[in-house]
Order: sequence, then C-alpha cells, then structure tokens
Amino acid sequence: MPVPAILELAGLRKSFGGIVALDDVALTIERPGIYGLIGPNGAGKTTLFDVICGRQMADHGAIRVEGRPIERLRVHERARLGFSRTFQECRVLREETCLDNLLFAAQDKRLGREVWQSTTRRTAARDEAAAEARRLLALVNLDGYAEAPAAALSYGQRRLLEIVSALIARPRFLLLDEPASGVNPTLLNTLRDFLRRIDADRRIVILVVEHNMEFIMSLAARIVVMHQGQVLAQGTPSEVQADPRVIEAYLG
Amino acid sequence: MRSPLAVAGVLGLFALLYLAPVAAPNELYALHILTLALIYAVPAIGLNLLFGYTGLVSLGHMGFAGVGAYATALLMKNAGAGFVPALAAGALAAGVVGALVGMPCLRLRSHFFIIVTLAVGVILYTLFNNLDALTGGAEGLPGIPRPRPLDLGFLVVDFRRPQGFYWLALTVFAAMFLVQYLIVRSDFGRSLAAIRQDETVAAARGVNVFAHKLAIFAISAAIAGVGGGLKVTFLRAAAPLSFELMESINLVMIVILGGAGFLLGPLLGAVLFIAIPEVLRVASELRLIIFGAVLVLLALYAPRGLCGLAEAMWRQLDTKGYARARHP
Repeated sequence: MPVPAILELAGLRKSFGGIVALDDVALTIERPGIYGLIGPNGAGKTTLFDVICGRQMADHGAIRVEGRPIERLRVHERARLGFSRTFQECRVLREETCLDNLLFAAQDKRLGREVWQSTTRRTAARDEAAAEARRLLALVNLDGYAEAPAAALSYGQRRLLEIVSALIARPRFLLLDEPASGVNPTLLNTLRDFLRRIDADRRIVILVVEHNMEFIMSLAARIVVMHQGQVLAQGTPSEVQADPRVIEAYLG
Repeated sequence: MRSPLAVAGVLGLFALLYLAPVAAPNELYALHILTLALIYAVPAIGLNLLFGYTGLVSLGHMGFAGVGAYATALLMKNAGAGFVPALAAGALAAGVVGALVGMPCLRLRSHFFIIVTLAVGVILYTLFNNLDALTGGAEGLPGIPRPRPLDLGFLVVDFRRPQGFYWLALTVFAAMFLVQYLIVRSDFGRSLAAIRQDETVAAARGVNVFAHKLAIFAISAAIAGVGGGLKVTFLRAAAPLSFELMESINLVMIVILGGAGFLLGPLLGAVLFIAIPEVLRVASELRLIIFGAVLVLLALYAPRGLCGLAEAMWRQLDTKGYARARHP
C-alpha cells in the first residue's frame, strides 16, 4: 500500500456568487520543503490558502493530511492539527509586545488547559516557551524589540513577527501569504536566510504565495503556478520559468 | 499588574478600604455611598471582562444581575438559605441564563450582538415585572433577610449595621476582583485579549473563538448575578426597576468611565458614578446630562477611561524620568 501524501488537495472548488475562485484544484505534496505558489492577481492563491486553513470552506473537494480528510474541520481545529499561516494584509496582535505575541501563539489553546494555566505561575514549560520566543526573535533581528508593542514596529518587522508567531507553535504546514511584500531589501535577505534555515532545521511543508519572482525562485524547491482558479503548471523554478503556458498566463 | 509595585498598591488600597469604617466611624453617609458603589462595581467587573478584555458589548447586563438577584432573594426569603449559598446559586443561575443566551447570539456579528443583548435585557426586565407568582411583579420581593451576624472572635460583624454590610460588600467585591485578576492573567485571558484585537488571528492560532466567547459571557453573567444578589440583600427587596434597561446602560457608563480593560476600572467608575452626584446633590435628571457631557469629554480626551488617562500620564512621567536619568 502506498504511503499517503503529507498534504493532498483534490477537486477543490470555491465560488463567490458568480465568480469562480477555485476551479477543480488538485495538488499533492509528497515531502517537506519550500513550495512557491505563484500566479497573476485573481488566480485564486489566497482563496486556496483560506480553504486549506479553514477560514473559508470549499464548496466541493477534499483536503487530506496523510490520508485523513480534514476539509470539514474548522479553523482552530486545523491550527491544532499543525496548520499555521500568515495573512496577505499582515495580522499581529498590535497591542501586545512582540514577546507576548509569540507566547500567545505558543500556548496550548484548549479551553480547559488555559483556565488552569495562570500566566503568573512560572513553569518549566512557560520558561521554555519564553526562551524559544527570544531565540526566534533573535533569528529575525527583532530581539531588541521583545518588550515593544507590535504596533511600534515597521511594516516589514511586523511581517517577520507574524512569521515567527506562525512558526512558534511548531506547525507541520506553514503557509505564508506574500511574506516579502512591503519588506525592504535588507530585511528581505534576513527573511530568505531565516526561511532556508527553518526549512533545513524543521523539515516541514512551507507553502509561500509570492509576487516577488526573484525572491520566490531563489527560495522554493518547487513552484506551483495558478491561473484562473486552476493549477496551470508545476515543477522546479527553471522548468516553470521555461513553460510556455506560464509565460502566456503572465504576459498574455 | 505584573510588577510587585502594582500588586502592593492594590493590596494597600484594599487595606485602606477595609479600615475605612474603623478610621471614620461616624461617616455613615459616606459609608452608605461607598457600599452602593461597591454593589455596582461587582457587575461592572463582569462587564469589564466581557467588554474591556474580550471586546464584546452587552447592553443588557443588569438583566443577568436580575436573574442572580431574584434567585438569591427567593432562596434566602422562601427557602431559608444562607447568604453565601444563595449568592452562589444566584451566580450559577445567571451564568446558566448567560450561556443559554450566548449560544445563539454569540454567532452574530458584533453590532447585531449588541442589539440582541439590549433586547435580552428588556425581555428579562419584562419577565421580572410580569411573572407575578415568582418575582412578585412590579412590587417585587420585599423582606429579604440580611445575613446572620458573623462572629470572628475578636469582632462580631452585624450585617444589619452599615459597617457590617459595607465589609460584606467589600469582601464580595474583593472576591470578584480576584476572579477578574486570575482570568486576565491566565492563558485564557490572553486568548480573550487576542479575540478582542483580531478574531481572525486568534482562530488561526488555534483559539476556538466561539467557545471562548461563550465561556467568558457565562462567567461575566455569573459575576453580574453576584452583584444583583448583593444589591437586593442590601436593599432588602428585589424589584424590577433595579434591573431595567437604564441600569444596564449605567453599567456600561461605569465601565467606560473607569477605564475598560483595566483591573481597577470598575471600582473607579462605580465610585465616581455613584458617589460624585450624591456628594454634589445633583438631581437624577441633571445627573444624566452631566454624565452625557462627561462621556463626550472622555471620548474626546480619554477614550480609555480614567484608568487609561492615569496610565498615559504615568508613562509620560516615567519616560521623562528615564530621559533625565540618561541625559542629566
């Protein structure tokens, strides 16, 4: 019997009124690594993220994690299964400090556990989470901002904070929606190095929607191209860049 | 309230409040006003957890206080229950009603939710006013007994006397304050703060937003129920007018005035809301006009209430001191 794929999408459809955002999307991810998801505006990339993470429910189709169907689970249930994402518009808890953003992301969210876990009580687990949070902040050069409220960060720094917030819960699937947009070139290098390091260390599936071609082509092992709600092509960066259908979708 | 200084400050404040009747034994009127303020501060804690920390507005919270009040009153008056078990049962009743209301309503978007809480408050008031057999209708339930005197060994506290009831109200408030503190500082409290700031992020990080909202709504209603039970024990009668719509609006004003999302906000708001008009002898019609003006001023100059204003001023002093220390 073949080993089921880590993540399998089959026949996903999603429409909003008359507009078809996802039109029979199928995608199989066999092994960990960085996957780039590209395509013109309106191709359905963000909708696909929303459907994978449960922010929106697909009209039809299946999502399977190691063979287990998850398409009926709600957002928080998928998060607890190991799906962690960032948002195109960059969402962090603006009133909280960077450290508290990470501690929130790291904590066990089951209601019963939460009620008995008083934040004032120091436990080994909590100290470990705080140490991990500071390590992650240092990796993206935010260690000087641990006690600063997220609202005080620049846009690019907030993006980095959002990414490490998504990462600290030790996800199996990290979905990044345009992580490079609004990030200056210096921070972009920090981000690229950071993602490569995470890829090497954690062996998880990292799915990246990105419009910055130079960034994504230098980062991803495989590229998936979407166009008009469908998967148009997939392959290594060089294969995809040479594909005439891809060139036509972008230029024509 | 994470720094030892803040904890010491709060403990000192409670010590002062406990000693007040001993320090000024003849100020019975002031004690009466302070007792009334504490009675409002308890349901305000419930609303503060909901509104200040979780970001959900309830315009019918005194309705839940009423559920707790009538339950407490019936148990003490008709079943001969003691004050503490009756109050606990009142809290439970209010919490259950809160959960039942929350289940269908918390799925609504925020502004629809606010309208529904207003309607629920009106419905509960109408029930208090018309379920004659249970609630005594418009006349209410008179003759609620005060708790029996408590012998502490060195002191016998008589709850029929103003000092005695003041200590009772203060102790109930202190207990609810502790509940508020423990919730806010727990992981649960951090998830509530995340829901207030961005529900989408909270859910994406694994928070069951609906379950968390339902839990805090029920807890908040239960705390309001405690306040209601305390109120009718103080007044010795439960009447629908104590739990009408305007009282719910007053509660929202107390929380906003004191500072939503601050531990001491409910107490500060209640003291100002109850005490200042009493001290200034303002007629009730004029009181509303004054508070309307105060709310406008708050919205313009201190949108986070008086606690928020105090915090901002403290920060400014702090950074100035810090700057001076670094650049002498």
